[in-house]
Amino acid sequence: MSATLERSLRAFWIVLMVFLYAPLAVVVFFSFNAINSSARFAGFSLRWYERLFSNEAILSALANTAILATTSTVLGVAIGLLLGYGLYRYRHRRLAWLIWLIYLPVIMPDIVFGLSEMTFFVTLDQRFGILSPGLGTMVIAHVTFQVPFVALLVHARLLSLDPQLFEACHDLYASPWQRARFFILPVLTPAIVASLLLALTLSIDDFVISFFTAGPDSTTLPIYIWSAIKKGVTPEVNAIATLMIVGVFLVALSSLVLQRRPDPSDPS
Amino acid sequence: MLKSARDSLHLLAIVAPGALFIVVFLVLPSLYLMGMAFTSTGPSGLPALPFSLQAFRELAGFGFLGWSPGNLYTLLRSVWQTFLATALVILLAYPAAYYIASRPTRWRPLLLLAVVVPSWTNQVIRSVGWMNLFAPGTPISDFAVLIGLTEPRMGLFPSQFAVIVGLVYNFLPFMVLPLYAAFERLDHAQVEAARDLFASPLAVFRHAVFPQTLPGLMAGTVLVAIPAFGMYVVTELLGGGKATMIGNLVARQFADATNWPLGAAGAILMILATVGGLWVLRRLGRRLGGDREVVL
Repeated sequence: MSATLERSLRAFWIVLMVFLYAPLAVVVFFSFNAINSSARFAGFSLRWYERLFSNEAILSALANTAILATTSTVLGVAIGLLLGYGLYRYRHRRLAWLIWLIYLPVIMPDIVFGLSEMTFFVTLDQRFGILSPGLGTMVIAHVTFQVPFVALLVHARLLSLDPQLFEACHDLYASPWQRARFFILPVLTPAIVASLLLALTLSIDDFVISFFTAGPDSTTLPIYIWSAIKKGVTPEVNAIATLMIVGVFLVALSSLVLQRRPDPSDPS
Repeated sequence: MLKSARDSLHLLAIVAPGALFIVVFLVLPSLYLMGMAFTSTGPSGLPALPFSLQAFRELAGFGFLGWSPGNLYTLLRSVWQTFLATALVILLAYPAAYYIASRPTRWRPLLLLAVVVPSWTNQVIRSVGWMNLFAPGTPISDFAVLIGLTEPRMGLFPSQFAVIVGLVYNFLPFMVLPLYAAFERLDHAQVEAARDLFASPLAVFRHAVFPQTLPGLMAGTVLVAIPAFGMYVVTELLGGGKATMIGNLVARQFADATNWPLGAAGAILMILATVGGLWVLRRLGRRLGGDREVVL
């Protein structure tokens, strides 16, 4: 590679990093501002954080976010894992239509997805009095978009394995339980860890679908931030956003650490 | 016989929960929403019988006061803003993906993560970041005033410019990842051969690099253009009235029951546009790629 190309590439990379991190950095920086401004910094202060932790609405939004993310992730990964395994195990049984079904939430605009669910839940609630919008419907909606991603990940992992491994299990008279315990679960561990992280970030990143399936008592942090900006109340927003950014960076860090662990199916 | 029955039961037990979730909570609601487009608008904006094509007439711009091009403009603007954002994302993602792929192997996961991590934060927060940067009085806004881009004492948002920046910011990682995967598998012998034949850098890219990265480019375009076209958050927060897209138009029909059938008709239009876009990309991929396999 020529030196000029290498130098301009490096310069480009630095500009790109500034572009990617400046919006996040500015949020973190001004969350410590002594005054309510995102143009002038008037000294370090923790006042927005103090206001945050004495605000009941924000604390309940924090709790809702945590409940929604963990519940939907556990359910979404469990169900998606089964589906991904089923697609692989019974691939001779004409399950191609299911694969198409799985791609549906991947290509459907999330606003259409969210509005479909909203009208569906609202109608069910009005007609039959079931599934009234709230944390329950939000968990259902999140599981619905997590399952396809998890199933695709697990399916891809199983497809990358040597089919002879499955035959070897059979030849060694492994019971279905033993096969699951000593073969399938261990080789799927990296895919399961990746699925957990993916499902969790999908859930935390989602705003549109949560927004349209939420009820009056199930405000999450992004929804709280959204309505705060719409009302013109911004000072605490930077502080809440900073907490969420820190959370995401911790997840990113843990993923990096987890990925450094050796792959159990890798013989080397 | 008995074994196959047990087998079927096993299949049902592991596939049914996931399939049921998708069918009951995604396919059924979407069909329900689409059906709504063929109803009349009731007194409070909710769907009512009889079935009619009224919503599609309204979507096309026919109202009480005759025809107006408002919805058509929104659709054209959505297509234009999606196109512009996708083109800019491609321009930024190519050097970024190449840079990562040309680093030592042990650095690559970290550099990839550096590109991806910002997209893991909630999209509302990402938009708040840009709102902070583009607010009136920030250095960026002051500079924009100085070069005459915006009025004094005004910020850089809401504007179409802010929307494009927001879209590029949101979707850049979705292009970098597939392009990086393509660059990592690049056959460098082809590049060397082109250089040995005294090809200009542009010709090397055109004949040796571009065809090899085409599958990644196509996959990335699908991952960027589809969600960009349906964008709601960025346009709502950074766009203001002059940069809204079809997703905002549709969503607005459902807020406080403004006009559900019209919104549903808009949703059908969005789905048709998405499928149409996928079809065009597929054709384009085949033409550009020649006999090369382009997976879409």
